[in-house]
Amino acid sequence: MRLDQVGKRYGIRLPWVVRDVSLDVLPGKLVRLEGRNGTGKSTLLRIMAGVSVPSRGKVTGRPVTGFVPERFPPALPFSARDYLGHVGRMHGVNGDSLAKRIEACLGRMGGMEFADVPLRNMSKGMCQKVAVAQALLPRFGLLVLDEAWTGLDVEAKAALDEAVAERLDRGGSVVFVDHDPARLSHLEAERWRVEAGAVTRVEAGAARAGGTPGSARAGGTAGSARAGGSGDSAQAGEYRGSHRAAKGARRRASRAAASGVLIEIAGWPGGVRFDRVRGVSAVDQDDDRLTVLVEPEASDHVLRGLLAAGPDVHVLGVQVQDGGER
Amino acid sequence: MIALSRYQLSLMLRSHRWIPPAVLFILGVVLLGGTSGPAVAHGAGLAPGLSWSALMLVPATAWLTRSALTAEPAAARACVAAAGGPRRAQLAALVAALLAGVVFGVAGVVWELTRIGVLRTQGTNAIRVGATLAVVGTGIGAALICLLVGSAIGALFNPPIILPPAAAMLGTTAAVVFALAWNGSPANAAVRSAGYGTKATSWPPGLPALAAVGLLAVAWTVSALVAARRSG
Repeated sequence: MRLDQVGKRYGIRLPWVVRDVSLDVLPGKLVRLEGRNGTGKSTLLRIMAGVSVPSRGKVTGRPVTGFVPERFPPALPFSARDYLGHVGRMHGVNGDSLAKRIEACLGRMGGMEFADVPLRNMSKGMCQKVAVAQALLPRFGLLVLDEAWTGLDVEAKAALDEAVAERLDRGGSVVFVDHDPARLSHLEAERWRVEAGAVTRVEAGAARAGGTPGSARAGGTAGSARAGGSGDSAQAGEYRGSHRAAKGARRRASRAAASGVLIEIAGWPGGVRFDRVRGVSAVDQDDDRLTVLVEPEASDHVLRGLLAAGPDVHVLGVQVQDGGER
Repeated sequence: MIALSRYQLSLMLRSHRWIPPAVLFILGVVLLGGTSGPAVAHGAGLAPGLSWSALMLVPATAWLTRSALTAEPAAARACVAAAGGPRRAQLAALVAALLAGVVFGVAGVVWELTRIGVLRTQGTNAIRVGATLAVVGTGIGAALICLLVGSAIGALFNPPIILPPAAAMLGTTAAVVFALAWNGSPANAAVRSAGYGTKATSWPPGLPALAAVGLLAVAWTVSALVAARRSG
């Protein structure tokens, strides 16, 4: 998804709430918006979620989107199950798979015991669980979280953290705002500071300066003024084929310098793909043996994802590889 | 769009927000309509009766539309807009109100037919099938035009176009009165040509329907565009 010179104001004579925002959200990316109250974070989030149309500029390539508002008032006359059914159908999920998906999403948030309670009779926390569950209904695409953790119990907060990591693993992207600086700090995030409606990239600390190839590329294009029409269209083309391009980049990276953490796995279930995961530089599969080369920063979460892929998966070995070019 | 409309219809039904406009419609049709037509003999009152129930659809549909447009808290609308798009979410609410208005309209036609009965020849009391169908057809046509005008008024004078409740309700009421009383309104012309009152309308046939469709298209488009701009 790309935001190009996006601005928003709520009337011709009113001031701009956000202005000239250009940034890319690439597949597999976690983006954190920071800033004080009233700087335009929520407005920007809503534009990214497709809830609000910008007054100027445009948003292109927005995938299927789930949005979690900060507060979901207990006002709708539906049970949690019925409400999730409606939202699921809007995403094109129907029938048995819809029922299963509802159970999976609500169950994950620990909300199955009140699945048939009307939203009107729910507490703030229960409502928030339903709000998170409705955003998780589509398996892929973009997740936009506006202080979504507010009011959730400890288990549900952890479940949401886990859902975010899983979404990133599947190649989806997540954009979030939260006033707790430790929120999702275990995941690698691109940080953007929103100040008086303008957005600036916060460079990560020295330890993360290398980053993944993806984040380096995002940093190169986002925020900077893009020159020339031809350059623009070339970037757009690259963006559209981003999965393919990323794969190619990984293959090149592994040929050039096979440095990183090498993980060997046995018992890999057939048909499960693992080549779109964040931080994975190369994948080599031989029957049920899988060899994955991972960026050092991403090894923990990739390992977790690998182990969760099937019941027979077990780790044969983990070793640090030095490609020699460093 | 179907899923969105289904959600909005379900919301309308379960929130019981259809009840106040339904009460208005029933009171209008049953109490006020009973005295509107001439003597109820040989079905002579059918045309005035049908046109009166069509006329009552304008305030009822405008109110239904207001109900649908104010049913969701902003946060719930935001979730739906992320899933289906803010313009389509708004259109779905308008569609739901219009469909509820159709139910009112059908109930009105059925009520008038049971209350007044079909047209019959004086003396022999034989049913005049052709004449009855013509009257019912014109009545249904007038009802459809009134539905569209009511929906357009509801869309133009309520959130997100007019936000303060007092201004929205006063505006809606004034627009409904205007649409019914003013000679230049398609609803007025349709109701007159369907047999209400004594003065015939000067509108050529077909023009009220065209005007109503145009009005609805403009009102719904503006409402959807403003909804997408104002939200957030």
